[in-house]
Amino acid sequence: MKIPRLLQAVLVLLGVYFGFILLFDVILKQVIPSSLLNMYMFFVVAGVFMVFTFTEEGAKELLAPIKALVEDPNNKTNRNIVFIILPLLGGAYTYNKLLPSFDAPVELRTIHPAPPASLKAYGKRYDILNLENPYRKFEKEDPERFKELIAEGGAVYIRNCQYCHGDKLDGKGPYAQGLNPMPMNFQDVGTIAQLQESYLFWRIASGGPGLPKEASPWISSMPVWQDFLSEEEIWKVILYLYDYTGHRPRTWGEE
Amino acid sequence: MAGYKNIVNGDIRLMLGVLLLAVATHSPAKPGDAEQGEQIYSRRCVLCHSDEGDGLGPAAERLNPPPRDFTAGIYKIKTTGFDDMAPADEDIFRMIRDGMPGTAMPEWADVLSEQEIWDLVAYVKTFAGYEGEEPGEQLDYGEQIPSSPESIEKGKALYHDQDRCSECHGKDGKGNAVKRLKDDNGDRTWPRNQTKPWTFRASNDPKDIFTRITTGIPGTQMTSFAKPSSEKRLSIEERWHIANYVQSLAKIEQVVRAENTVVKAEKIDDDLPDSPDDPRWQATQPTTFFLVPQIIAKQRFFTPSNDTITVRALYSDTELAILLEWDDRTKSIPGNKLAEKISDADIGEDAVAIQLPIEIHDSMEKPYFGMGDANNPVNIWHWHSGTTETTEGISLLNSKGFKEIEKRDAATIGIHAKGLYTEGTWRVVMKRSLTTAESDKDLQFVSGKFIPIAFAAWDGSNSEKGSRHTMTTWYWLLLKPATGAKPIIAALLVIVVIFALLFFWARSRQPHRG
Ligand code: HEC
Ligand code: HEC
Ligand code: HEC
Repeated sequence: MKIPRLLQAVLVLLGVYFGFILLFDVILKQVIPSSLLNMYMFFVVAGVFMVFTFTEEGAKELLAPIKALVEDPNNKTNRNIVFIILPLLGGAYTYNKLLPSFDAPVELRTIHPAPPASLKAYGKRYDILNLENPYRKFEKEDPERFKELIAEGGAVYIRNCQYCHGDKLDGKGPYAQGLNPMPMNFQDVGTIAQLQESYLFWRIASGGPGLPKEASPWISSMPVWQDFLSEEEIWKVILYLYDYTGHRPRTWGEE
Repeated sequence: MAGYKNIVNGDIRLMLGVLLLAVATHSPAKPGDAEQGEQIYSRRCVLCHSDEGDGLGPAAERLNPPPRDFTAGIYKIKTTGFDDMAPADEDIFRMIRDGMPGTAMPEWADVLSEQEIWDLVAYVKTFAGYEGEEPGEQLDYGEQIPSSPESIEKGKALYHDQDRCSECHGKDGKGNAVKRLKDDNGDRTWPRNQTKPWTFRASNDPKDIFTRITTGIPGTQMTSFAKPSSEKRLSIEERWHIANYVQSLAKIEQVVRAENTVVKAEKIDDDLPDSPDDPRWQATQPTTFFLVPQIIAKQRFFTPSNDTITVRALYSDTELAILLEWDDRTKSIPGNKLAEKISDADIGEDAVAIQLPIEIHDSMEKPYFGMGDANNPVNIWHWHSGTTETTEGISLLNSKGFKEIEKRDAATIGIHAKGLYTEGTWRVVMKRSLTTAESDKDLQFVSGKFIPIAFAAWDGSNSEKGSRHTMTTWYWLLLKPATGAKPIIAALLVIVVIFALLFFWARSRQPHRG
């Protein structure tokens, strides 16, 4: 049986529409904003219309069922139904569009902004590009010492960080749910595994307020740790973050 | 983590809880390997429970309750009889697997296998020398009495009879202390708020509650109500009734829902309510937020007692009123003998505050959530409960971060507040006119705009003063604009136009009849 052209066109449009939703919302897990979806669909509808009305017969065939509905006197009942439903749909759509929305505004922020070239802390200036963890070398040179340093970092962590980032470093600390944005999950491959130790030093020393504007410093609850911890303690806690999660810090060599 | 498990659907969780419990009590203890357990322990548990198992890890003094001291061999959650100090292996297993909500003890089921948890059980037992011991006998549950209005009614009577449970848990079960309680180590303990079952260390399934009443909560002042020597002793049947009653106290509507970030103020034509117990508040929609301790700046505070705050709002043509409601176990009145007995002599006033930006930016920019910043100042309306000498009051602060605070007179700006404490709950109404004379110093409220709003609370009996308090980060306040007739008129118009177009199209195409 041949599928009527009008139905074909509708099926193509529906296919594309749900294809988009499947691709973004389900596969990429990134809900597509409705404004973007509307824009895509506008072009798709225009394209489909052009393809289906490319030849005159094609256009005729496409519109035939509509013509028949409107013009054929035998279609009276169907016509009456369509004539009631269409205006109502239009009305309902208009009504919903004009209702004020009470959903909270969406706040987009950059999670990993570019770090500044240099950081001022502890009364000196750090050149972030060339900054290295002074304890990292002990990993090879003195494994015993290295283990002790990690344990000291662990103590810093459990006294200061676990409330938010969680004692499993999974971002689910006792108070995480009361904070927005949520504390970072260090187990996730998208956080410290992607970053250099110098980046972490900058983030930990300067906290939420140290972020640039695109990262919304005003909502980050990450404390400014240079107020509470020594420089050495920050480097040790960084060792602990990598040791507990099993991630390796990024280094220039890999890039 | 276990502390703030978010109960989205109480019933489902309850069912799950029952199921897990059933599984837990039916899966027999597997022999754990203490040596394996030691390995896991030294990686996952030492930072809190310490190498020696004495609970004196580096964070101990910042955690309330502190990590358990395994060398003492005392376990809070156990199903062995009250005369048996050692818990069953399954009890330890369950606490490690599920964690203890309301404490720093997290659930481990997400990162450890069952076998690893059994290994830990075996190792943890060695600290108290429990490893060789015969398993204790399970306590006697008799026959469970299912919950029913009659059973709950009986339970309620027993709960209050001789002040049996209400002595500590308060008349409405909110844990509003009339006594100063300590655990065996002298650390402050708070009786559980039974209207918030998501803070229970175990669960609020009647079988769990029955167990707690039967064994007591070892190491704390909640003793066994099954002991023959107990004056307030209860029979098995009576314990089931109380368990059913306690379960019925849950206030599921006070559960925090992550998606609710907007306090929506409805408009009313009357004058706004001045008092927290005005019946018109009942019709408003509550929004509940987590309170987290201030562990971010200045003098940090790690051991909070308040955990959530519920907010409602109403507005009129000229004014806005906000009702803040939060459970606080103690009415802290400096100078009052009873209040000082429950707490310390240097208690402070209870207090609550609302924070608002002075200016709302069209971009996303807001003041720093912790009292604003140099470029973006905030208004803080700070209510305090009063002492034996002074009455309650409200002050207004304009702040650009905690280092730059200007105190202003709330009365001249027209901010008013009224607080009321009943049975473990504070309710405070704050009111202000929508606009003020000093528009560069005060936020001017307009309807239809999303206004950032944040909250803070102080429990004066928990040494909360100054920067030591609980707080929220930014949420939203919306004065709901009247919908007006626009949408409905537009919709009708669209209907008429489409119909007319279709109608004329069809007519023009019809072969003319007759
Ligand atoms: C009060 C809660 C809180 C505490 C305590 C806290 N953090 Fe954070 N932290 C956050 C939040 C929220 C974020 C995410 C927002 C941001 O990036 O600023 C974050 C982000 C971070 C990041 C950035 C990770 C990334 O992928 O960019 C690092 C690193 C970090 N925290 C380390 C620490 C360390 C180390 C400590 C303890 C010394 C600590 N935090 C304590 C809340 C906290
Ligand atoms: C972040 C700190 C922290 C870590 C890490 C931690 N615990 Fe706990 N644990 C606690 C606290 C706090 C308590 C006490 C809770 C209470 O008294 O209500 C506790 C209590 C316990 C209890 C006692 C249960 C009872 O019935 O009284 C056991 C058993 C336990 N923990 C085992 C473990 C094991 C095993 C690990 C490692 C896999 C571990 N804990 C890791 C903080 C921690
Ligand atoms: C002497 C004071 C006191 C009395 C009397 C008392 N309790 Fe408690 N109760 C407490 C304390 C303190 C806690 C919290 C213990 C802790 O720190 O974990 C508690 C906790 C609880 C819990 C929470 C269990 C969990 O899983 O977290 C329940 C349920 C409970 N009590 C029920 C009762 C009932 C029912 C009665 C009366 C039969 C009663 N209590 C009498 C002091 C008391």
